[in-house]
Amino acid sequence: MIDLAMHMMDIAQNSLRAGAKQIDIDLTESSRDHTLLFRVSDNGSGMSRETVEKLADPFFTTRTTRKAGLGIPFLKMTCEQADGRLTVSSEEGRGTVVEALYRTDHPDCLPPGDMAGYLVLLLRANPEVRFRFASRIDDAEFVLDSDELKEQGINLLHPQMPDAVRGYIRENLKEIGRKRPPYGFPYRLATQAPQTDNMQQTTERY
Amino acid sequence: MNGIKTLADLKRKQEEVMSRMGQRNRGENPESLVQVKVAMATCGIASGAKEVMEYFMDELDRKEIDAVVTQTGCMGYCFAEPTVEITLPGREAIVFGYVDIRKAGEIIERYIGEGELLDGIIPQNYNTI
Repeated sequence: MIDLAMHMMDIAQNSLRAGAKQIDIDLTESSRDHTLLFRVSDNGSGMSRETVEKLADPFFTTRTTRKAGLGIPFLKMTCEQADGRLTVSSEEGRGTVVEALYRTDHPDCLPPGDMAGYLVLLLRANPEVRFRFASRIDDAEFVLDSDELKEQGINLLHPQMPDAVRGYIRENLKEIGRKRPPYGFPYRLATQAPQTDNMQQTTERY
Repeated sequence: MNGIKTLADLKRKQEEVMSRMGQRNRGENPESLVQVKVAMATCGIASGAKEVMEYFMDELDRKEIDAVVTQTGCMGYCFAEPTVEITLPGREAIVFGYVDIRKAGEIIERYIGEGELLDGIIPQNYNTI
């Protein structure tokens, strides 16, 4: 997992597998505290206390098709590498909340990645699930609610609409991204050109 | 980018698209559709399942093939990710492994299009790790 968008898809997939009908995804950045909180909460089947305790163990999984489960351990690893922490709380029959905290002034803080691309995939592949995505940087906020899109008659199954929605999300994330203080690592990473130029750009900037 | 910044812009775009092409008839019952399931768990994501899934959605749309593309969890073939399960109407589901965009194009063209079996099928009795 090299960016937050990948983690988002991964954790959301867990929620979907738990039968969630509503999934809330929040990215909250605070420039004063230098933190980024990535939070996914769902109303899926939830987990027992014993399961939650074993989650961070890569060799624990409820599946029978394989013997390892790396989604949560990877998330724990990436946020702890950036001086953050992972919290998972869950209640059987009610749902689960996964919270990963990153320090944005830490060089290992993950870049956002292609949030728009992954969100559109989630929305398009799971029309029966309500997704609410919110990205906040201090007091700037962008919220995408799949119910609201439906109310407006926006149908992602229609050709050309995924592109339009992707553009809409990107444009708005870019807009609130302007509020990011220029010294944070996510800012530098998010404003970098496509991956091929990464190396060159990094050396120029540091 | 494409000048779409507000929900109102999106709505306008939707209306424009609808008037241009008219609603395509989608079969109501999923049995009559081609079903594509892309494994989108940790292993899939790490090996590029997103690009493959986007490609399937866009390409099937472009070719006007009635299909539902959804995501699924890990099917236990982590070594062969990205994996894609394809169910043609009235046929058994088949899982393809190591699907990159080129392979996906081949699957759409030859398996979905012509019903021809291709390399890269993971046999059902294959032992998982």
